[in-house]
Amino acid sequence: MQSGISSAATQLVSEEVGVEVSHVTKGFGPEGAKLVVLNDVSFSIKRGEFVSVIGPSGCGKSTLLRLVAGLTEADHGTVTVHGEAIRTATRHKSVGLVPQSPALLPWRTVHDNVSLPIRVNSKANVDRRLRDPRQILSSFGLGHAVDKYPFQLSGGMQQRVAIARAFVFDPMVLLMDEPFSALDEMNRDQQRMGLLEFWQSNRKSVMFVTHSVPEAIILSDRIVVMAAHPGRIAEIIDVDLPRPRDENVYATDAFRDLEGYVRNSLKSVMAPGQAA
Amino acid sequence: MSNSELQSRASAGVIAPGSASMNWVRSAKSHLAAWGPPIVTFAIVAVIWQLLALGNPYVLPTLDAVGSNIVSNPGMYWQNFLVTAQEIAIGAGAGILAGFVLAVLMAELPILERAMMPLMVTIMVTPVVAIAPALVVAFGFGMAPKYIVTGLVVFFPMLVNSLAGLKSVDARAHDVLKTLHASRWEIFRELRFPGSMPFFFAGLRIAFPLSVVGAAVAEFAAAGQQAGLGSLLTIAAAQANLPVTWACIALLCLTGVLLVAVLAVIRRYVLWWSEDGA
Ligand SMILES: Nc1ncnc2c1ncn2[C@@H]1O[C@H](COP(=O)(O)OP(=O)(O)OP(=O)(O)O)[C@@H](O)[C@H]1O
Ligand SMILES: [Mg+2]
Repeated sequence: MQSGISSAATQLVSEEVGVEVSHVTKGFGPEGAKLVVLNDVSFSIKRGEFVSVIGPSGCGKSTLLRLVAGLTEADHGTVTVHGEAIRTATRHKSVGLVPQSPALLPWRTVHDNVSLPIRVNSKANVDRRLRDPRQILSSFGLGHAVDKYPFQLSGGMQQRVAIARAFVFDPMVLLMDEPFSALDEMNRDQQRMGLLEFWQSNRKSVMFVTHSVPEAIILSDRIVVMAAHPGRIAEIIDVDLPRPRDENVYATDAFRDLEGYVRNSLKSVMAPGQAA
Repeated sequence: MSNSELQSRASAGVIAPGSASMNWVRSAKSHLAAWGPPIVTFAIVAVIWQLLALGNPYVLPTLDAVGSNIVSNPGMYWQNFLVTAQEIAIGAGAGILAGFVLAVLMAELPILERAMMPLMVTIMVTPVVAIAPALVVAFGFGMAPKYIVTGLVVFFPMLVNSLAGLKSVDARAHDVLKTLHASRWEIFRELRFPGSMPFFFAGLRIAFPLSVVGAAVAEFAAAGQQAGLGSLLTIAAAQANLPVTWACIALLCLTGVLLVAVLAVIRRYVLWWSEDGA
């Protein structure tokens, strides 16, 4: 079982491009007095690749994620998902979003919250491998909570429901903006491992924004380190730890070496007097 | 605190712990704690009223005179109550619906809000008491002006509250729906409409008592023609018939209390998921 997933998982990293962000520039404010938030950002996520984005607060991580989600438009540059412009891709329901808070509908049961993406824009449901909400919930350890309401769930469980909601309609790309940041440390580690396990047997292209270096390393294939003022990519770091991974990875030398390397990269990005 | 008191009494052998009688005492006690103070307040006001009424027979009727007047003419009061109730049901119903529908249109088409809100505010700062007689002139002494005044009075709080609710959507849930390319209608159905319900009910909490005011004021303006508790009140007051006057006031007041109570029950069923759902 384990080895089966392992060999399948390594094959699932395709060389084909999942998400392509090319020369994206984005600013806010009136013309003339525009604050440039992202300056000429380019990177790509291969199909089935897990890419984390890390960087100082305000460097434009959320803005970048919103651009890839089609929630705002770039001033210059393009974003494509599986070769389609982002507008077309969202019309085809190719993108799943996990926001920073679970953002569940309090008047809906857990089941009906998870099936929300199936209920809306149902034109895009044809020729798609929709998942059974009950099945996906039980694989997230929420089988007992299917008919409960969000307020009856802990914060960690609510966030798992939000992740299940993003997986249920089998999108090509998943975007997550600090999904575990509102949880306490113990809970966060548990949710992180749950996501890792689920994703390793359901490989999707993932863009994962985080503030946590260990989280970025244990989850990702690559880490995009961003610098601020204006937001730009400082470095892209390969994480060549073997998969499937579990919490034992934290204790390995390779993990610690990488952690030191990423922290150094972040430190140099945040160093005072850094040229803009 | 009352629990520990009960427990100490129980251990002293006064009541067996966990017995039915103890549970009964506990629930009776909690009921007393909730209802006691307001009942005492009402009782004090009633006593003062009665003393004042006995000393000033031409200013205030005694409570028993009002009560016995209602009891001796139940048919008359019931008929008039039905007329007023109909004005409230139709007038306020239409006003609530219109306020909500316009709020939906304004939320979906911001230009409509900018175009129409100043007019709405202008209409609403015009006192209903001033509009009512003009409407009687325009529409006669029938039911139409009463419906319009009652509707007008509830329209504005419903519009403003519903609009605030429809605009107060959870931005992150909205992002999730946008990323799924949900249509406007789907976003309304899944998020905006249910999400606006706490505000909608806050509007109803204002609109329900106001609808009684609207119906009464409309009847004042057209008194002498149509029945209704407000008309009856005006006629009785003109004849200095104190028991009937105050009986009408009491019944109008009761109508308002009843509406608020019904609303509280509906709200608990609809808004059980809201934090302040009680
Ligand atoms: N809608 C907006 N209007 C104006 N300015 C904005 C808007 N959205 C973001 N910004 C600005 O863009 C910059 C980057 O914001 P963004 O939220 O993308 O940063 P971030 O890297 O996600 O930060 P954090 O780590 O704190 O979440 C900030 O200076 C922010 O004030
Ligand atoms: Mg952010």
